[in-house]
Amino acid sequence: MLPTASSAPGQPETAGDRDGRLGVRLADVGVVYDTKDGDSVEAVRSASGHIADGRFVSLIGPSGCGKSTLLDVVGGLLAPRSGTVTIDGEPVTGPRRDTAMVFQEDSTLHWRTVLSNVAFGLEIAGVGRKQREAAAGDIVALVGLTGFEHRHPRELSGGMKQRVAIARALVADPRILLMDEPFGALDQQTRMFMGRELLRVWDETRKSVVFVTHDIQEAVYLSDEVWVMSARPSEFTAKVVVDLDRPRGPGTMSSRRFHDLTSQVWEVLRVESEKALDAQRELEP
Amino acid sequence: MSGSAVTATARAPSRRRPPPVATVRWGLVIGSVLLLEAAARIGMIDPLIMPPPSTMVVRLGEIVAGGGFLTDLTTTAAAVLSAFGLGAVGGLLIGILFWRLPFVGATFEPYLVSLYSMPTLVFYPILLALLGLGPAPIIVIATTMAMIPVALNTMVGLNSISPTLPKLARSLNCSRTQTYLKVLAPAATPLVVPGLVLGFIYAMIGVIAMEFILASEGLGFRIGYTYRAFEMQDMYAYIVFVFVIAVAANVALNAIERRVRRDME
Repeated sequence: MLPTASSAPGQPETAGDRDGRLGVRLADVGVVYDTKDGDSVEAVRSASGHIADGRFVSLIGPSGCGKSTLLDVVGGLLAPRSGTVTIDGEPVTGPRRDTAMVFQEDSTLHWRTVLSNVAFGLEIAGVGRKQREAAAGDIVALVGLTGFEHRHPRELSGGMKQRVAIARALVADPRILLMDEPFGALDQQTRMFMGRELLRVWDETRKSVVFVTHDIQEAVYLSDEVWVMSARPSEFTAKVVVDLDRPRGPGTMSSRRFHDLTSQVWEVLRVESEKALDAQRELEP
Repeated sequence: MSGSAVTATARAPSRRRPPPVATVRWGLVIGSVLLLEAAARIGMIDPLIMPPPSTMVVRLGEIVAGGGFLTDLTTTAAAVLSAFGLGAVGGLLIGILFWRLPFVGATFEPYLVSLYSMPTLVFYPILLALLGLGPAPIIVIATTMAMIPVALNTMVGLNSISPTLPKLARSLNCSRTQTYLKVLAPAATPLVVPGLVLGFIYAMIGVIAMEFILASEGLGFRIGYTYRAFEMQDMYAYIVFVFVIAVAANVALNAIERRVRRDME
């Protein structure tokens, strides 16, 4: 019997508690955006959820369901039409220093070396050359690019360019990493390898991660939770808690539990994908 | 000694390779010059139509040493540089404008493209009437010619930037100036520079061609003048000079362009 203050009934939640204010909180977020033709599209209807500090959460859903849009909202690139996004209780009003984004497409600056690409965010923030290059050097080593510091992106493979993008996101030591299908443009083998590498880096840094993907296996393998989104206008239809042991490795994917979880996600996703396809068919004449 | 044997066999096939392209290229140039020289010397070409190349070069030496050449050269160089300078600045501004305001870009791009395919030189009588005889109409036409490829390439260069880069800039809280100078400008450079190279070449063509009709000095004027005066040796000497300058400019600009484009995937 070890009575602790926080577990005592009737006690108010302490600030900084794991399921308290810390982390990303979405409350009834709705996103509408205008297309070039002047139409407005309701991308996200009502998304709510809490990504606790240090959690790895994947967003998965049918194509065009607004996963990336929602990520842009968390990253402060897009204002929601309704609802709020808060980080540690503060509403998100624009890009913040404690969030960093990684995109699907190659976002390396081709005229800069790897080191200078990684240091770019710090350069923008006004950090001196010596200091930012030292920081960038450490992160380059962390993501396994040692020896490539002075190469240019054209000399790197697609996977290595994404490592550069991840390193650039990590270098300012953000607390929250927002990843928009970061391995979506890579081939299957590189993709699986990069997933493992990401987990290794995540293990060392313990950032909160919001990871957009449409690969179920990738989502389950990486995440603590997989949030499944419905067809557009979207909301979360299921949140699957992934209780697989960490650190995860090659054995994880062959385990019984892994298969159960992926089928569970697929069951929800299949229904939503069919809805999305039907909606598309209706649009066609 | 097995090491050297291996190197020997490895090298063997390379000996059978055709000679390098550069050798053939230079061979063709030297060969045709020699051929012309021989044809002119044995009388196969009337020296009134074309003197032997060696005579052209000797005559060029005399012209360069004599007075007046420097005036022609500086007149033409000044006109080319001002036309290129104005064309480059104007072209960059137009390109940026067409990119920033897609509606304007979509509206006016066809005009620009048709101006591209049009021999702008035909406007010279109008310009002559408007601006009078002197360097002004020459520079106006050469500027227009230089501006078009710069404007088009700048627009295409900016439009072809992946939308991810501005997004990245925003996510990193780049200021407007930082976004322009550190992201957009360098990203567009590999396409802007070829436009500038073309612009320079067009400025050169425009100035020299206009000098034929509209000038009282300058290299283009001198070629036309010597032709009308039947001073064939002088005319060819000037042609050789313009040719060498143009080729040299082209080689230098291509080197710059290659260096910049190398950065593009």
